[in-house]
Amino acid sequence: MTVTTASPGIERELSDIVGAANCIVDPGELRTYECDGLTGTRVRPRVVVLPATTEETAAVVRVARRYGLPIVPRGAGTGLSGGALPVAGCIVIGLSRMKRILAIDLENQRMRVQPGVINLDVSRAIAADGYYYAPDPSSQSICSIGGNIAENSGGAHCLKYGFTVNHVVGATIVTAEGEIVELGSAGADPLGYDLMAVLVGSEGLVGIVTEAVVRILRTPEATRTFFATFPSTDEAGACVSGIVAAGIVPAAVEMMDRLAIEAIVKATGVDWPLDVGAALLIDVDGTAAEADHTATRAVEIAQLSGALEVRTPRDARERQLMWKGRKSAFAAVGRISPNYYVQDGVIPRSEIGPVLREIAAAGARAGLRVANVFHAGDGNLHPLVLFDARVEGEEHAAEQVAGEILKICVRHGGSITGEHGVGADKAAYMGEIFNEADLETMNFVRCAFDPAVAFNPGKVFPTPRLCGDRPGTYVAHETEIAGTAGRG
Amino acid sequence: MTSQADDLRERLAPASVDEAAAMVRERAESGATFAFAGGGTELALGYEPERVDALLETTRLDRVVEYAPSDMVVSVEAGMTLAALQTTLAPQRQRLALDPALPERATIGGLLATNAFGPLRTRYGTLRDLIVGITIVRADGTLARGGGKVVKNVAGFDLPKLMVGSLGSLGLIVRATFRLHPMPERERWYEAGGLTAEGVRALCRSLIARRLEPAAVFARLEPGGSHYALAVLFEGFETGVDAQGASWLESANAAGAQIVDAGPEGVRIAAGAAHPRGPVRIRISVPPAAFVETHRDAVLPLGDCFEAECVAYPTTGTFLLGGFVRDGAGSRAVATIAAARAACEALGGSLVVADMDAALRGSVDPYGTLPQSFPIMRRLKERFDPGRRFNRGRFLGRL
Repeated sequence: MTVTTASPGIERELSDIVGAANCIVDPGELRTYECDGLTGTRVRPRVVVLPATTEETAAVVRVARRYGLPIVPRGAGTGLSGGALPVAGCIVIGLSRMKRILAIDLENQRMRVQPGVINLDVSRAIAADGYYYAPDPSSQSICSIGGNIAENSGGAHCLKYGFTVNHVVGATIVTAEGEIVELGSAGADPLGYDLMAVLVGSEGLVGIVTEAVVRILRTPEATRTFFATFPSTDEAGACVSGIVAAGIVPAAVEMMDRLAIEAIVKATGVDWPLDVGAALLIDVDGTAAEADHTATRAVEIAQLSGALEVRTPRDARERQLMWKGRKSAFAAVGRISPNYYVQDGVIPRSEIGPVLREIAAAGARAGLRVANVFHAGDGNLHPLVLFDARVEGEEHAAEQVAGEILKICVRHGGSITGEHGVGADKAAYMGEIFNEADLETMNFVRCAFDPAVAFNPGKVFPTPRLCGDRPGTYVAHETEIAGTAGRG
Repeated sequence: MTSQADDLRERLAPASVDEAAAMVRERAESGATFAFAGGGTELALGYEPERVDALLETTRLDRVVEYAPSDMVVSVEAGMTLAALQTTLAPQRQRLALDPALPERATIGGLLATNAFGPLRTRYGTLRDLIVGITIVRADGTLARGGGKVVKNVAGFDLPKLMVGSLGSLGLIVRATFRLHPMPERERWYEAGGLTAEGVRALCRSLIARRLEPAAVFARLEPGGSHYALAVLFEGFETGVDAQGASWLESANAAGAQIVDAGPEGVRIAAGAAHPRGPVRIRISVPPAAFVETHRDAVLPLGDCFEAECVAYPTTGTFLLGGFVRDGAGSRAVATIAAARAACEALGGSLVVADMDAALRGSVDPYGTLPQSFPIMRRLKERFDPGRRFNRGRFLGRL
């Protein structure tokens, strides 16, 4: 890649495409784009461009490529792994202006949206018709569909309903060459390789999504929620295992430990007891008869597992309050600690008890508290390592503990990230779960899309990787060369 | 396939994953080309491979690598049959929620490579929704892994899903890890016969309107070719299943359908009926709301030409036909398939000829119009298998 020294010519060309108001070069304004939800690391981009259409995005990419600028796509900037962290001299392409819902097709249970549409607004647009969009990250009121696709976002209810990859069936992307390409199809089984599976969760490395087709579901007839407290996370963990062993697939099973409960109570005023070791918030849903039956069984199992108390909300408002408590947990922890470091490790569900004890021990050794609020049903931990950045050495110690937590997860057969993505934050830990051959194979995928490594450099892969020439000589079939293959 | 036999120099049957990798690696220098076979149930899918020096059979890779019932995750080698896997899981009352054709023969690797499915996709999706980890042998003989053994995992590109449906053209699948589902306490099929295509669509809409959650829905074209019998499976806990069944019966009765309560025995009967077989097999994928148009513009014309069974999965927009060319219709078959395909493509879908007899092969393209994203697919193939050693020429676009 030849890098031309950036000249004012770039900015002029970019403003010609998107308008001067949407081409940001002012250092003060650029500060907003120095980081995403991972605020500890900041890099000022050279320029931020906010296109309004697919065509504008493609034109911007072509200009950036001509000048050899690295391209960092950005959604709502809520990501927690530094997926939208700029690199020096880069152009950030922000999709926040593209926030229109383009089509609602209830008959085929699909919706076409622009990438800047907020996750919750997808469900809101169809709620009156009795439909919803299933992936529900805790940040769903502020995070956007484009960012959800990049990170393959999950949420509390993916235990039963799956992740973003199971719910996004098509996309318009702008490639690293600045071409506009449609992925997926109107039918359930598109021809050829499953490029949607590659796109979702690719963390901005293979293309910029400018339109997405999402699958929408009928709202279940009934949802039953209950909240149960336990002496410790061991009993709560046993309850989760017991429910699953009984053949129940709950819609969501969220666990909070003592410290997380304390933070939530302080921040939201919800009347949860403070003298407990752990709490579970559980949703079961389905038809009314099925939901009633499974809720009754799950409550029995909670009691058998040693629950101190089981509460059922009296109405929708009480249920909403319980969930508001859970979803505000990260913000709430900000009330009991000036700073915290979030992790996103995954472990086999049956290992919850022992792993939480190891994590607490790792925190104690460093003199730091760790709060846990997480998706227990699928073993997706969110340990929050609390620290005070004003105290010399605490931030570094917290980072060390966070890294140790990932290694604990990997030792127990898990993964370094369940839903936040690898981004810049965890790239260095990829080598804990993948060997050189695995990473090289993933790089094949990237290189098929972006051989110049123009999109989001420095993310996901632990060491910078180029694509180089195609490995070996490709033996093309004569009909393929003639362009006649596969035409029926 | 005769041309395979012509070139074929060796048949390989590795007993371990490492041996499979070594076999590919040792033949890398010579540029030997490979075809792969599991249970041999879908060998005709795609184009005929251009050259096959070695046929590698995975059937000896038939072990359970790891099974953690409490985590509802299982890792198996690719040559294990689906039936053998289900037998392993059954004592724990767990299952892989997949019901494709010929489970006694079809292997895990083959099912993944061909993206095989059955009526349970209505609720559980296809293998892309069930796979969480994979190990492949690359064309250079290197073993590579993607995903892991936990269900929720976003570390790195999703190689497991990329391999689903890739027909062994990017790598040889040797191991896979799946999420499992509980075996339901109760399963109950209901069948409503004598429905027009409009009737099928209307009943499916009423399923959604009533917020019922069937595990499987499929419609069999009845003899005569104009009416369907719609089979619906409810599963779960007894009270829930019975309540859903009652609601469904009410809805079907209101539509004037002839109801058959297939009862517990129906499970076995229905599973066999959901996979039409025959020397010619066609798979159509369209938007579900285009059920009536697809029936009219593709299924009916094909029925004139082929003596075929037709099964549709109306909630996913899938039609499967299996049978043979009617006496005297041979000359029309190619044009009929082309016209049906054009109709499906006009609806935004596709028509794949998954198997065909010798008379059609050569005149009928298996896939149809290439997607706009095909150049990216070609570049993927170039990166994974630059020498085109794996299933050369078999996949979409003769990759």
